[in-house]
Amino acid sequence: MRRALGIAVCATGVAAAGTGAAQDAYVIGVTAGMTGPAAATYAPVIDAMKAYLDHVNSKGGINGKPVRLIIADDTGEPSRAGANAKRLIGDKALMIVNSSLSSTFAPILAETKRAGVPLYYAGAVCPKETYPPADPLQFCSTAFGATLDSQAALGFVRAQAKEPVRLGLAAMAIPIARSEIDYAEGLSKTLGMTPVEKQISPPPAPDYTPFATKLKEANPNWVYSWSPWVSQVRTFEALRRLGWNGRYVTWAHLNAEEELVRLKDGELYVFGTNAFFQDDLPIHAEIRAVTHKANLKYPISYLTEGFIAGLVIESVLKNTAWPPTPQKVTAAMNNLKVDLKGLRGGPLEWTKDNHFRTRQYYRVWKWDPAKQAVVRVQDWMPIDVKQ
Amino acid sequence: VLIYRVSRVISLAHGELMMLGAYGLFATASLFSGHPLVAIAASAVLAVAVGGLVYLALMRRMTGESVLAAVLATIALGILLRGAMVLVWGPQERHPLQALGWANASIPIGGAAKISAVSLALVLATAAVYLGLWLFLRYTRWGIRMRAAGQNSLLAAQRGIGLHGIYALAWGLATFTGGLAGMLIACDSALEQTMVVIGLKAFPAALVGGLDSLLGALLGSIVVAAAEVLLIHYVNPLLSDVVPFLVLLAMLIVRPWGLFGTREELDRV
Repeated sequence: MRRALGIAVCATGVAAAGTGAAQDAYVIGVTAGMTGPAAATYAPVIDAMKAYLDHVNSKGGINGKPVRLIIADDTGEPSRAGANAKRLIGDKALMIVNSSLSSTFAPILAETKRAGVPLYYAGAVCPKETYPPADPLQFCSTAFGATLDSQAALGFVRAQAKEPVRLGLAAMAIPIARSEIDYAEGLSKTLGMTPVEKQISPPPAPDYTPFATKLKEANPNWVYSWSPWVSQVRTFEALRRLGWNGRYVTWAHLNAEEELVRLKDGELYVFGTNAFFQDDLPIHAEIRAVTHKANLKYPISYLTEGFIAGLVIESVLKNTAWPPTPQKVTAAMNNLKVDLKGLRGGPLEWTKDNHFRTRQYYRVWKWDPAKQAVVRVQDWMPIDVKQ
Repeated sequence: VLIYRVSRVISLAHGELMMLGAYGLFATASLFSGHPLVAIAASAVLAVAVGGLVYLALMRRMTGESVLAAVLATIALGILLRGAMVLVWGPQERHPLQALGWANASIPIGGAAKISAVSLALVLATAAVYLGLWLFLRYTRWGIRMRAAGQNSLLAAQRGIGLHGIYALAWGLATFTGGLAGMLIACDSALEQTMVVIGLKAFPAALVGGLDSLLGALLGSIVVAAAEVLLIHYVNPLLSDVVPFLVLLAMLIVRPWGLFGTREELDRV
């Protein structure tokens, strides 16, 4: 019910923002998949980001001014996302934040480019235009990153494997996942591995057994999957039900920490760039306190990504002199270094040519049956992001 | 199929009611923690009650309106339920089986073939539901009344059969069976927003079998599922989404009333 009210209040904000109220605040427009099939991935990011910025506002705002967030639900639909972006720009948003399916990117981008407003992907997959040489108006802080993730995952497999690697590959039939798994297939060969089977499952598949069966029949000793969590974990669970005993390495989405606890499988490895709550850092205590105050219903482990987005927006606006304009915000985003307080392996840095990050750090975790706990298998491993 | 047979209304909220049944199990499993059988029984009762309530609160008011209006009402109901479920339970994935405190073991069924315990329960539950429905419709007073209402509602009403009670019961039973499917699917994998799509795949199965035939729905499901699995395995996995509808198109061209449907039931444009 809170979400419904929140969206309703935000909708009211849309009407009010253009009238003067906007001049007293930093206005940030958000179009996100708050409901719909992909909401589990995106809604926690935006809700956590909002909770953090509300917390900032309660402490006096940024440069003495509050941050006003206008959240519009696009349900993952491109047409709605485009309409949202147009409306938010009309309401003088200084920046558009997108947390939704990649199919929403093009219509939003068309609107932001027309208006010269920066577009910030938070929780949505980072498009290649944020990598160097970056598009002047697109920025991204989302944890996962195409090509780098496969480099990290397969590097880990090579370091771990004591026997020749027969690699199975699994992905969902969405463009970003398919191209990444194709890249991983090529990369695996250069690393001396043998890709034995690649399975692409449609989104959503009610039963992953047929795909897992084909994978199992190829007899891989490792399987790598890079997709939305539902596809990754269902393929893994189907493989286990079929009696496959190999090792599975996959991306650590928002819910990975609690999923490792649920699955309790010692050969399921998740790799990612956000620290787990088991680290119990001071920032984790802050996240707990803020989300408790905001009465968010998600498991706490879902909220790191949204907090990082909040920290990024706070840093950008701190460097945006009053009165703010989209041009000033873009300039601040082009020269940004955000201290993530341990939520990642290092600070998030954007430069004029690199709107992704200059260095990406990866960790790997798994469930340890002996300790009955999630354990870290590999500590932060940096990969430089180059052109 | 049950609703169509009795009232000639196609429920397009089937997927959402299925998902609601699964959320019902998740809720009762959390409520009756440590008592899984109580939780399952409570969720089953809840599913029947929801179906009855849908009829009494919504579909009953469509009496006398065109069938198309009633079908559109079920679409609106589906949209409403989808939004309401996100509001109540949030968008994240849920695991009813874990909430029940059970594990989904893998059971060998000969050779290298294995089946999960919940999948096996799904097969057995389908058989039990069909047997139960057959016994109910053939031998019980309410079942015979339901068949009568389905054959000729006007005549049935003139003979003193309370149509609203029959329709409410049909909605209750249909929601129970759909909800049961949702519960078992959610226990086998997980409960999340895309479950509605599985409900959508039920329509090709029902139409292939014949919209007014319970036996046809069963055989239609087997035909569609077999085509899907075989094409995934031998041709291309990405065909799985389109196969049910290809089978449906082929059936509509060759035999529009389905394998076991009644030819006279077909409305022509």
